[in-house]
Amino acid sequence: MKRLALGVLALALALPALAGTVWAQEVRLGSLNDLTGPTSDVGKDAALGIREAVQYVNDTGGINGKRIRLFLYDYGYRVPEAITTYKRFRDFDKVVGVLGWGTGDTEALAPTVGKDRIPYLSHSFSAKLTDPKTTPYNFFYGTDYSTNARAAMTAWHDEVWMKDSRFAEARGKGEKPRIVMFYMFASPYASAPIKALKDHAALMGFEVGPDQDVSLTALDTKSQVLAAKAFRPHLAWHGNTTMSVAATVKDAQALGLGADHIVNNWGFDENLIRLAGPAAEGVMGIAVVAFYGQSAPLMDKVVEYGKKLNPGVPLEARVIRAVQGWAQVLMMAEGMRRADRAGKLNGPGLKEAFETLRGWTPGLALQPVTVTATDHRPGSVVPIYRIKGGKFESVKNVDLKARWPRQWEGEFFGY
Amino acid sequence: MYLPSGVFHETYAASHAWWQTGFVRAKMALLLVFVVMLPQYANLYVVSVANITLYTILSALGVQLLIGYCGQITLGHAAFLAVGAYTTAMGVLFWGLPYPLAAVLGCLLAGLWSVLFGLPSARIKGFYQIMTTMAAQFITVDFIITRYVSRVGGREHYFSLPPGTITIAGWPVDGEVKVYYLALALTLLSLVGLGNLLRTRVGRAWIAIRDNDIAAEAMGVNVVYYKLLAFFAAGVLAGVAGAVWIPNLFFVSPEHFQLSWGLWLVGVILIGGLGSLHGVVFGAIFVTGILELLKFAVIPLSDIFPALTERFLYVKEAAFGLAIVLFLLYEPRGLAYRWQQVKNYFNLWPFAY
Repeated sequence: MKRLALGVLALALALPALAGTVWAQEVRLGSLNDLTGPTSDVGKDAALGIREAVQYVNDTGGINGKRIRLFLYDYGYRVPEAITTYKRFRDFDKVVGVLGWGTGDTEALAPTVGKDRIPYLSHSFSAKLTDPKTTPYNFFYGTDYSTNARAAMTAWHDEVWMKDSRFAEARGKGEKPRIVMFYMFASPYASAPIKALKDHAALMGFEVGPDQDVSLTALDTKSQVLAAKAFRPHLAWHGNTTMSVAATVKDAQALGLGADHIVNNWGFDENLIRLAGPAAEGVMGIAVVAFYGQSAPLMDKVVEYGKKLNPGVPLEARVIRAVQGWAQVLMMAEGMRRADRAGKLNGPGLKEAFETLRGWTPGLALQPVTVTATDHRPGSVVPIYRIKGGKFESVKNVDLKARWPRQWEGEFFGY
Repeated sequence: MYLPSGVFHETYAASHAWWQTGFVRAKMALLLVFVVMLPQYANLYVVSVANITLYTILSALGVQLLIGYCGQITLGHAAFLAVGAYTTAMGVLFWGLPYPLAAVLGCLLAGLWSVLFGLPSARIKGFYQIMTTMAAQFITVDFIITRYVSRVGGREHYFSLPPGTITIAGWPVDGEVKVYYLALALTLLSLVGLGNLLRTRVGRAWIAIRDNDIAAEAMGVNVVYYKLLAFFAAGVLAGVAGAVWIPNLFFVSPEHFQLSWGLWLVGVILIGGLGSLHGVVFGAIFVTGILELLKFAVIPLSDIFPALTERFLYVKEAAFGLAIVLFLLYEPRGLAYRWQQVKNYFNLWPFAY
């Protein structure tokens, strides 16, 4: 027994030495992912997408001939492990940039990456990370949560409240639309856009009901739905991830909440239709890229690499999260190419390269990304979708900057 | 206690000394040199792993005191870490206190808060006490801190401290090396302090309560008083850990103090050894080190087997549970006991006993 244990340990320590192939020209890229923790429901598919996309970039010439070497690691959403893993990436693997995951690790590491000058391109779109004065090294590829929330509210107001005959009577009486928000208070991701959403409610003349605390892992939300029902809302905002959004939407239907639903991007994917079934009909939400397999430039490659590298995962089970992983890697690769051409393939060089992006998009229905040295918000155009007949259909693209140019530069910025 | 032949003590002080022979003193001096010089020869990654280890030691010390020395099972220790960390952060951010003063305030508040949740221990024990300590977790972190404290100052759900705000006598604590020395000093102080405390009347009373509370009461130990004192001391130690956490990240959020972290700390002392200060240190080194070693095995291998990182890594979670089960089965007295055995082997060599 002891000998066996020793043998296994020796093997574990010896294998890296055997496996460490040395490449002459490589660019090192770290990636923090959650594959085992509370956000693993959306995290696993994103990690698969990241691995596939890095393979695609390497197959199509890499970073101007240099191969990307990916260091991808699970931190189980435990912040201490995120720190040691990030520092391993920094000091041991010597990465140029890091692909980050949730709001927990991204916001916690924001002061550290700023000090270390390592660009951190995250899946978390918390708008607090968009002001380069406080978080100069944080970037993302999709529109921030606050912009998303404002856009979804605007789309519902313009397309449903103002047009739908269901609300004709209320409109005629001069009633204000009433909104109630379901989200987990303790989750930085879920509570990030709430202040912006409330400000926007004031701007658009909504009445805001009492917030309802729904856990990210909630399976039963009846008490929250009943509490919200007393307010007789026309609209419900869902700020959580898919599992708990599905539970809330189902309970809302069962208890006759009678409100329409708008959902933030991490709660709006193929699994929502699978989990909520008919209750998901008519739910509106944000998607920063195309859904898996939907027609969009480059989607054929996403599907091809998905089949090739992860044949064990059936295509029906793949979701938009993998496409988001692709978008994240492709933006990182674009930044690296630009930094490499400028001869500065390092942290500060990569930051400057990101800040030269003007209307860049790789396809995949990712809205054009523009990042400047004074504003890290990637864009102002948010595509809003609606679930109809178990499929996603586009409602409209809301452009906040075009509609509120003054506020976009002013009070919309930085939170 | 083991003493080589020819060593005699003539005073009580000498016979109660921590380290009794020149050889042991030299060993400890070497160890001290090793840990103090660590940042000189190790890179920053190693130092940051050491920081997390020290933070784990400080966090687990209070758990060891409560479970290992006083027999009061606690699963909600993360709550008291949170009180310490939040008080320190708020002291620096909102009340303009210097960091050491805010940290002391955090320790005191964490201690008192811990006493509050220790009060039920006067009447209940065992499973019921586990419930009250879990209640501490939910009431403190999930309710008070998340809903009210985190929203102070319009920062919504976390506090981020601007760089340069944490200074000790004008000396800014930023970067891994400085945090390392701060954490090291506090860890050594806490270990020596607790070690000495356990040899006094207070420590003996705690151990008596752990071994049999009725017998302890019959001997004249004021059980309620000493239990509450244990909760206070454990809370203060948690406050120290919370204060060390702040300069690690310059950032604090309720997500850092979840129930799972409290359970993790219990795992640390189970692996290290119940009722042993060595056990806390060994346990913390073990659980932090294993996860890092796993990275050394998995990350280079993932170049060849990419699926390893995406589809195999759940074993990491399982490994921690498995380690606890195996320790309980084969090494119930933990790593500390194994360490003792190793020392005995060398001390007695070439004889078996």
